[in-house]
Amino acid sequence: MTKMNKQIRAAAEKYLKDSIVSCVIGYEEDSRGRIRPAFIEDAKDADRLIWNATCNLNLVNYLHQRKLSPGKDQPVPKTAVLVRPCDVRSINLLISEQQIKRENIKLIGITCPGTEINGQPRTICQFCMERTPVDWDVLIDSDQPIEIPSAEDIYEDIKEMENWTPAERLAYWQKEFDNCIRCYACRLACPGCYCYECVSEQVDPHWTSIALDVPEKMFFHVMRAYHLAGRCVGCDACEAACPMNIPLSRLNRKVAREILEMFNYKTGDDPEEAPLLACFDPHERLRT
Amino acid sequence: MKIITQKHLQEWLSRLAGEMNLVAPVNSKGKMIYREIKSPEQIAWGFERTKMPPKNWYFPMTESILEIKQGKETKITEPPEPQKTVIFGVRPCDARSVIAFDALFLNKPPVDRQYARHREALIMIGLSCPQMWDTCFCLTVGGAPNSKEGLDILLSQVEDGYAVELLTVKGETIFEGVTFKELAIKVDEPQIHNGLPALRKSDQWMALFNDLYWQKLSDSCLSCRVCSFVCPTCRCYDVRDELVALKPGLKEYERLRAWDSCTATGYRRIAGGHNPRDTKEKRLRNRFYCKFMYYPEDYGSLGCVGCGRCIDACPVGIDILEVIENVDHLLEKVQINV
Repeated sequence: MTKMNKQIRAAAEKYLKDSIVSCVIGYEEDSRGRIRPAFIEDAKDADRLIWNATCNLNLVNYLHQRKLSPGKDQPVPKTAVLVRPCDVRSINLLISEQQIKRENIKLIGITCPGTEINGQPRTICQFCMERTPVDWDVLIDSDQPIEIPSAEDIYEDIKEMENWTPAERLAYWQKEFDNCIRCYACRLACPGCYCYECVSEQVDPHWTSIALDVPEKMFFHVMRAYHLAGRCVGCDACEAACPMNIPLSRLNRKVAREILEMFNYKTGDDPEEAPLLACFDPHERLRT
Repeated sequence: MKIITQKHLQEWLSRLAGEMNLVAPVNSKGKMIYREIKSPEQIAWGFERTKMPPKNWYFPMTESILEIKQGKETKITEPPEPQKTVIFGVRPCDARSVIAFDALFLNKPPVDRQYARHREALIMIGLSCPQMWDTCFCLTVGGAPNSKEGLDILLSQVEDGYAVELLTVKGETIFEGVTFKELAIKVDEPQIHNGLPALRKSDQWMALFNDLYWQKLSDSCLSCRVCSFVCPTCRCYDVRDELVALKPGLKEYERLRAWDSCTATGYRRIAGGHNPRDTKEKRLRNRFYCKFMYYPEDYGSLGCVGCGRCIDACPVGIDILEVIENVDHLLEKVQINV
């Protein structure tokens, strides 16, 4: 067993044994040797937990199902969650949006060597400068060597896209979204997408057709990217969940870059800060 | 046995492409998918199992089932007859899905007019599987890598081409005039997975309806629609009248039907907002109970052909074969306790 898995299990076991949390959310291996989320509620099950480079979901997403009191006079359940540096930023996002309280969460943070999607290193990991989370309760060091890349080419693929004409950009995304099957796995794997009812499924008002055609898919993805402006932490759980391999990260990183340049704002820096696009600062000036 | 060479097969498919809508597996940036093709050169011959099932051509993702023009008089028109479509390279598991579709849409009244029209226009040329792949489990649900059910023609690869079995009148008709040789060749038996779990009969499942297992299983479920959309047998749909155009004195609507999924939150929501399947536990459980209990009991066909696509596609690793196995184990326990 790797040192890292040992430490993850020890942390989980302690939290459960001491009744600090009622559930630890991490990853386990299934009978086919693949990774899946694990919900550990008993300390003796902690030895199921593992971590490897294919752990590419954002488990913070599951805090939405544990953020409310289960019944009258019952406290909100306490949860420990295994998090990468990008995932921790979504913790801060959800705190700033008053979805969760830090006191109900224990963070088992890891220093991150990067993860893979479909056997390839994630694009975003190749440029990621942040290998230690901004917040944690337990920090576990990666078994793998961590190489922090130079910042130079961080937007290479975005710049390529920006050089296309609007018609070329439209053609590119229409082709990609043509593969979409509107299953909503991207949205449901995203900790930032927690609307009670999504615009794309709303009946009254009825914003979009039930058709699974390109205009509706395009509408859904563009709308989602806009709704995540200043909120996307770049965890790429959406892309990892997509059964059709749509490069959603490329769209989200484009918007994140705009936000960074306009407002010098990176999502999830500070849990106390009001959400960027939900507040108005009269002194605010847009880039001209 | 009729044997057709690769060359003659391609010539035949070329001819079919000129006469009707030809659908076949193609390689789209590494993804194997069925697409309408113009020439057999586009076919991805080495495909194993496509990412999406071929159901789009008999149960389209989205289709207009009525057009409604509301003016001084209201005019309702049906869409035109579907084009004759031949799907080449249907895997035997996927072919069995039409048995499940027919059970609901054709064999029990009322007949679904639109499905009946698609089915009438459909010809399926199967390609038997030389082996079972990673997540395949057709044997568990009554199929086989070389099953003929649902197909019009079955092709099996042999040394010098393909062995051809004509299974229906439709199959015989489109094969007319094709060059083949009559040879005494035996097709190799496919490689199969041994030790697949056994599926419990539909009348046994109810004993586990309130088991905690479903809650545990659904902890990680996202309530997305991936499993249903990649499933060759999932056939639930949503229908809505949508405004197409608003012109002076005229409103045009179309009645759309599009794929839907019982795993999605809003699927079971009714007028007034009540949702009888309000938790993901109930929704996920329904998916399995529908396939293995409700559907067989109501329509006489299983709702699963064992293709394994949902196992591959589920973002959180929910595994239908593992469910079948666990249900088997849990029932053993229940029976011991009784």
